[in-house]
Amino acid sequence: MRGRKNAFWVALAAPGILWLAILFIVPFYAVLSIGLGKLDQLIEAPVAVWNPFDWSSSAVINVWRDIFGSTSFAGPILLRTIVYTAVASLLCLLIGYPAAYFVARFAGRRKGLFLVLLIAPFWISYMMRMLAWIDLLSTGGYVDKALGWVGVSPVNWLGGNPVTVVLGLVYGYIPYLIIVLFAGLDRIDPALLEAGRDLGLGRARTFVHVTLPLSRQPILTGLLITVLPMLGDYYTNQMLSGAASTSMIGNLIQGQLGTPGLESQGAVLSLMLLLVLLAPMIYYVIATNREAAR
Amino acid sequence: MTATKTPGEPPSPAAPAPVTAPGTARGRIRRPFRRNPWRHPWFLEGFTWLYLVWSLAPIVIAVLFSFNNGRSQSSWQGFSWRWYFSDPVNSVLHNPQLHAAVIQTVRLSVLTTVIAVPIGVAFALGINRWRGPVPATFNFVMILSYVIPELIFAVSMFFVFTTLFSTVHLGTLAEVLGLVTWNVSWPAIVVQARLLTIGRQYEEAAADLGANQFQVMRRVMVPLLAPAIFASAVLVFSGVIDDFVIVDLLSSSAGNTPMSVIIYSTQHGGNGGPALNALGSIMLAMSLIIVILGYAGYRFLTRGERGGGLAALTAITGEAP
Amino acid sequence: MVHPREGWQGHGMPRRRFLQGGMGLSALAALGAGGVLTGCASDLTGSGKLPLPRPSNPVTWPVFPGNAAIKSGLEPERDATLQVYIWEAYINQDVVNSFAKKYKCKVQLTTFNTMNEALSKLRSGLTFDVLVGATPDVLGQIVMGQLAQPLNHSYIPNISQAWPDYTDPFYDKGWQYTVPYTIYTTGITWRKDLVHENPYAMRNPWAMPWQSKYRGRVAILDDYREGICLGLMKNGVFDLNTTDYKRIALARQSLQDLSSLVNLRISQTDYSDVPAGQTWISSAWSGDMAAAPSYMPKGVNVDVIGYWFPPNGRGPVNNDTMVVLKGASNPVLAHRFLNYLLDLPVVLNNISWNGYMQPLTGVTPQVLVKEEILPPSLTSTVVVPSTFKTGLFELQLPVDADALWQQAWLVVSNGI
Repeated sequence: MRGRKNAFWVALAAPGILWLAILFIVPFYAVLSIGLGKLDQLIEAPVAVWNPFDWSSSAVINVWRDIFGSTSFAGPILLRTIVYTAVASLLCLLIGYPAAYFVARFAGRRKGLFLVLLIAPFWISYMMRMLAWIDLLSTGGYVDKALGWVGVSPVNWLGGNPVTVVLGLVYGYIPYLIIVLFAGLDRIDPALLEAGRDLGLGRARTFVHVTLPLSRQPILTGLLITVLPMLGDYYTNQMLSGAASTSMIGNLIQGQLGTPGLESQGAVLSLMLLLVLLAPMIYYVIATNREAAR
Repeated sequence: MTATKTPGEPPSPAAPAPVTAPGTARGRIRRPFRRNPWRHPWFLEGFTWLYLVWSLAPIVIAVLFSFNNGRSQSSWQGFSWRWYFSDPVNSVLHNPQLHAAVIQTVRLSVLTTVIAVPIGVAFALGINRWRGPVPATFNFVMILSYVIPELIFAVSMFFVFTTLFSTVHLGTLAEVLGLVTWNVSWPAIVVQARLLTIGRQYEEAAADLGANQFQVMRRVMVPLLAPAIFASAVLVFSGVIDDFVIVDLLSSSAGNTPMSVIIYSTQHGGNGGPALNALGSIMLAMSLIIVILGYAGYRFLTRGERGGGLAALTAITGEAP
Repeated sequence: MVHPREGWQGHGMPRRRFLQGGMGLSALAALGAGGVLTGCASDLTGSGKLPLPRPSNPVTWPVFPGNAAIKSGLEPERDATLQVYIWEAYINQDVVNSFAKKYKCKVQLTTFNTMNEALSKLRSGLTFDVLVGATPDVLGQIVMGQLAQPLNHSYIPNISQAWPDYTDPFYDKGWQYTVPYTIYTTGITWRKDLVHENPYAMRNPWAMPWQSKYRGRVAILDDYREGICLGLMKNGVFDLNTTDYKRIALARQSLQDLSSLVNLRISQTDYSDVPAGQTWISSAWSGDMAAAPSYMPKGVNVDVIGYWFPPNGRGPVNNDTMVVLKGASNPVLAHRFLNYLLDLPVVLNNISWNGYMQPLTGVTPQVLVKEEILPPSLTSTVVVPSTFKTGLFELQLPVDADALWQQAWLVVSNGI
């Protein structure tokens, strides 16, 4: 690496690095200080303890007991969160990949139109979309009516139904996945596909042997963008169900952070969630570094 | 790129080709094709339209109810403009809280996008080439900033701006700083992903031709990255208009409360009404206009450098040259 | 927190863990009841105990030096913008506009979603003129934290229009800091056409939600106080500020049974779910159900909505307050604003939009029905003056008892 060349790249990255250092790393340390800090009795507000030597582990102990202790109750919530996220992500991929693939490869002249339609959900408030769905799914709403036309009896969609929550997660996060997949699939060189055909591969096998391997990076990025935030999601369950039987870990964190006196536990639980997400994040960084080095 | 095709387009998109496929004409291997493998994928297209209907139906309904004559958001009571401007007390035009919210949303989204996208793009470019422990760590921190639950981030920002950096008290500045930090990971991640598949040959070719680093950046890399930059700008912009958590905690008065906060909090407190749908529809219309302007601006700026409308379209959405 | 406008961040969580059936109770007994428990508690700092107002233990708040009331006889500020800090969607914009016109000023409403958020921001230095919507359970923090200033009564003659109790309420003797805003009760709402039982005829109406035949159709309010109180009352306990861990555990157990019996929905959208027919039985606030007429779908008459509150008045009741904040830049206008919202025609206008009633002597069920603010079938949502005396207030708990409640609610709302 020549010295001058290095400085150029450093200069480009510097503003981002400084910004993160001041406005992310410092607040992150604040999260640690709140989570491992004390509680002011009078106003039931958390007191940040900046000196690591004064950190108190009481919040960590409480949260640990909630999850693993003999009186734990949070185990099922974690399990449920993982299951819902896994199913929802799979559905996102199964629905989103064909749509992204179609628009990337076959849309032709109408690509711009399709793109606008794909991006449109981003521009209207998430809440508005969910409210519209709640209206459609409520008893006597259009979904039940439509089911009635096909002879299916009405379902209580909003009465604590896990199917509704999973579908809600899919609905909320799929636009992100599609856009990222689209950006990636769009770059697949059609010449490679032709080469596959020339070599005698049928459509399906071309897909499996050519397209799918080339989609690996977009799928990985797409899943990063979708799965990780989904694990911390709380308003989908809150709006579409409200039952304790479908609550996710995000509901737990959010409840703690909103209650005076429990913010430190909320901070600790968030940090624990991040620890769990550490492994996939590191995998992503390594995988992309490997790609970049090639 | 083969000269006879535009990128991403099979030879005969819509018209069914004759049964003897191109494969037999070009290649030596004979396979019993029953159907043209380059035929238009009607199934895929149908599937995509089905997805779009599922995705957009609630939006259409939400926009529809913004024109509702009555106070309900679910039963149609007639067409009216009252929530936009004719109701003298509660319309978006007349209710000071609502129209201050529209203005604040525009302010926040433009400021955040204009700051976050350049920082993020530069970060992605720099990190990609600068090898070492420092960039790797900050790359990790960037992803951490994406993955952290928003609520805890917002709470820590509130803490920081009221106790540590208390010269920046709550208000628009705090909101912008918080939003940029929260959204800078979009351009960083998306542009980085795109960089990985571009490869170095364009840069090296340009360098061989005598361009210095700035010129390479400006005339080769940035145009190549244009679709990713555009996509990440869209993501940042929409991330800001819809953000509720950060802005709620960092706002200090009605003057710096954007539409998202009003929509989220009013709906939960009750008495929402179609005025919220009107706000949401305004959000939608604003974004559509900005994207159209952005696309038109892009076309204007690159008008000498490409041919044909189709190429321009695929340039902004797909492969560049 | 008990306020109906409390956003969805309102549910409680535990600080300490010692309530899980029999095992937890014995652990607690071993450690000794009450007091601060080390080891499993958060590390507490600071000292000081807040006075806890109760009907049986009224509180006179101190007036701090340096935070005295403004002088009498001052003119309202000119060319001012009155800054009001209030729950979202909690006051009729029309009322605000008419105040602005009358006093030739501007009024800016800034809203908050949770009381916790509001108090954090006020403590961090944000200043407004008036805070609307603080319930008595946070008055301790507000007054002792010197966030509010004492009132000068000469600017608020309309207090005479409010119920006499409010010139000397137990939570603020001598009305030094507060005037009332809205008053509401918590009862049970049900769909008369979809549910066969009539709570007025039941022996224990608070047990109405506990019926498995309504699986998927039962909801309760997303509020840790209201939730546990329902459990308490179902079991015949009417001390809604109890610190007895046995009772709290019993309430918690009943609620867990309810949760598995009916796949309980915990939400705050009863005001639209019940009219829409999504939920058939729910615990609800009176003001939410009073607004039911606006949410009825086409073709469904509002008569199908019922709201039950114990006829003898022994059920949860609460009112919230308005205070003038300490750093108010327009204190005279602030006082006038409080006065304005105690005037009957203004109040009727406000109720017609807000749904929640205000405790003025002129606000009676007959008047509300006559003014077409309330349908006759929902007059049970109106709070009568005697309820202030007979009703059960949910008030501030000591810090350790609060933890018991919050932990019990945590298990109910998240654990299965």
